[in-house]
Amino acid sequence: MDALLKEIDKIEKIASSSSSKGKAPSMIESLDSLLQTLRNTKAQCEAGEVPVSQIMQLPSAVEKCKKDVDDRHKEIYSSLARFGKTLDKKFTNPLPTYSDLFSSKDSVNALERTIALHFLRTGQFDLAETFLQESDATIPPEIRSQFVGLHEILKALRNHDITPALEWVQQKRTFLRERSSPLEFNLHRSQYIRLLLASHPPNVLPAIVYLNKSLRPFYPDHVTEFRRLCGCIAYLPLSRLQESPYADLASPNLHFDLEPLFAKEYCASLGMSRQLPLRVVGDIGGGGALARIEKGRKVMRERKSEWSQTDELPIEISLQPENRYHSIFACPVSKEQSSEQNPPMMMTCGHVISKDSLQKLNKPGGRVKCPYCPTESLVSAALRVYF
Amino acid sequence: MSNKMNVEGMMMLEQPFLRVPYENYRKAFRTSQRNVEKDLGAVNAMATDVSKRVTIENAEPADTVNAIDTMIARVEALKRKLSDLQETTGKPAVNVLRERVNHVAAMEGIQSSNSPEFDRWTDTRFDRWLVDWFLRNGKEKSARHLAQEKHIEPLVDIDLFMDIRRIEDALSHQSCTEALAWCSENKTALRKIKSTLEFELRLQEYIELARARRSMEAIAYSKKYLVSWHETHLDQIHKAIALLAFPPTTTCGPYKRLYDPSRWSNLIRSFRLAIYTLNTLPTEPLLHLALYAGLASLKLPACFDHATKNTDCPVCDGGSSEGLGLGKLAAEVPFSHHVNSTIVCAITGRIMDADNMPMAFPNGYVYSREVLEDMAAKNRGMVTCPRTGETCQFAALRKVYIS
Repeated sequence: MDALLKEIDKIEKIASSSSSKGKAPSMIESLDSLLQTLRNTKAQCEAGEVPVSQIMQLPSAVEKCKKDVDDRHKEIYSSLARFGKTLDKKFTNPLPTYSDLFSSKDSVNALERTIALHFLRTGQFDLAETFLQESDATIPPEIRSQFVGLHEILKALRNHDITPALEWVQQKRTFLRERSSPLEFNLHRSQYIRLLLASHPPNVLPAIVYLNKSLRPFYPDHVTEFRRLCGCIAYLPLSRLQESPYADLASPNLHFDLEPLFAKEYCASLGMSRQLPLRVVGDIGGGGALARIEKGRKVMRERKSEWSQTDELPIEISLQPENRYHSIFACPVSKEQSSEQNPPMMMTCGHVISKDSLQKLNKPGGRVKCPYCPTESLVSAALRVYF
Repeated sequence: MSNKMNVEGMMMLEQPFLRVPYENYRKAFRTSQRNVEKDLGAVNAMATDVSKRVTIENAEPADTVNAIDTMIARVEALKRKLSDLQETTGKPAVNVLRERVNHVAAMEGIQSSNSPEFDRWTDTRFDRWLVDWFLRNGKEKSARHLAQEKHIEPLVDIDLFMDIRRIEDALSHQSCTEALAWCSENKTALRKIKSTLEFELRLQEYIELARARRSMEAIAYSKKYLVSWHETHLDQIHKAIALLAFPPTTTCGPYKRLYDPSRWSNLIRSFRLAIYTLNTLPTEPLLHLALYAGLASLKLPACFDHATKNTDCPVCDGGSSEGLGLGKLAAEVPFSHHVNSTIVCAITGRIMDADNMPMAFPNGYVYSREVLEDMAAKNRGMVTCPRTGETCQFAALRKVYIS
């Protein structure tokens, strides 16, 4: 990139009309000097004296000017060419063409809908409005108002107001309990810490009252946390708390993290994913997956080995743990992915292989020797497992 | 899994981002070169002429003054043209180029894909893709709105796409004029990529004359504009001339096809291909390319089985069965490929490994040890399978070994 920036600087210097830091005059200066010559000649002519020799020199003056300007152009040109070469070197693989990808009417609708939801979910309501006017996508008004509700609560949280969030939590208590979500506890914890640190010199009474009233019901599920909340009082004020074993409670992240946690729970209650789906897919694709896929395809083409399964990528794209949403079982014996017809089977020793492999390892008497440990067991004793 | 970024892989999608302003600047540069060539050439001819007349013909001083005046005017006009060009095209193009190179350099400088800088960078990249997608799909207002709100105008090519839009609109209203003007502006470049767009356009104008049954005009038009293509398109020229013998209502195959109005949408497609190629834009929106790769990396048969759908998985489409969003798009991409097992806990969504062993209920349903231990601690040693409702002692669970 530095090489590119250097060429840009060079081009700008040569091309700019005002400054001429280079060794040669700028284009405008060359033209100005030609104009000067022409004007001088004209003035002499008007004075009645036709300067024959000067006029004879005019063609070569024009030539010279042209040559100077051309030289400037050449300098720019060579910088441009170098720039282009650097780009070529940087981008050796052209972007692939997948013709008519996502161009069917249904696909366009699906994508428009996804984009509109993305804007709403990220709180870009004006933009969503503009976009919806320009597209065929329709988003039911209740979905919109759900997201408006979400962002009002998030805004309140940003302003240290947990009341709207708590109201919502109370409505969804059963749902949150089923998910064993720490949201409600964390909201109260944030409020408690705020109360604790609000007064100077420390007056811990309001905080303790709050702890007693709001946090005590969480004691059974959050024993250690609760004890730490009480213990940290001993380390006030803030400056001491920050140096104490309770420093994590003094961190502003305790409050900031409420927003993403709340958004996650809110979306889950609406049956939506914890991350932004469009971003997840785009970031994986743009984070190198496209290049990997294309490289894999190129290798396959060069080997002239037609990839046997056209409906499957030729290579594995590694994913971050947070992007693994499903269990994949590849049989360690046959390397095949399990399916409904060929499900994973656990032998009595606990090792899992695919049903097909299990059948192949079948020995007389319906017994099977585990390929990974010395145990022998009955094929019929193998248990189908569900991940 | 490391958090190292795949810079090279990310760079792949940034080609048009850097190449478009580069081509813009090159275009401005060529225009300036052409102007110099033309104007100074003319001035040079004038100078030679004047010097000749002064020496040989002893011209009147007034004539000489006039001639010099013309030269001065020409040089001044050139000077104005050059500085205008520099101000309106050259300088902005260089600025955009610099801004974009800096933007890409910023990405190269980021250490980890877990850092806030990286998040911000991908935020901007995502917005750039959206603007590109809007512009390609005729959603100008959304494109401008987004670009303004995020202050990324120098990073997106609104003007270029507006130009494309203008010409495509004209074509869809059956006018070739704008597209032909664009062709003549980019003649050399089009010849280099062997584009026959101009011939196609000319042929269409000819067909329209034939459709209107203005045969004489059509013949004159063909002489003027079609014949010059005889080396490469003789066959089509023959057919075009014969077209005059057939009325627009003809049922004769090849001529019916020439009269077919759907040729106009083909013209739009050819034009788009030509201008995309000249500006090194991919034919697919960048968003599509990224989504293709992303969906293919994630797509599994499990995403389409109701029993194994996961609300958090983008391909499963929030668990909806109709496929209203990304799941619909995923139908167009291949499945991902795996040679190793990855077992994800259906309750926590976390990957199970030696530290967090998979444990199986007697009915074969598998969950992670951490969540089952938690459950047992809260329920006096009893665990319940959330999918089947089976309840048993924690001790009755069996360890599962995945190799």
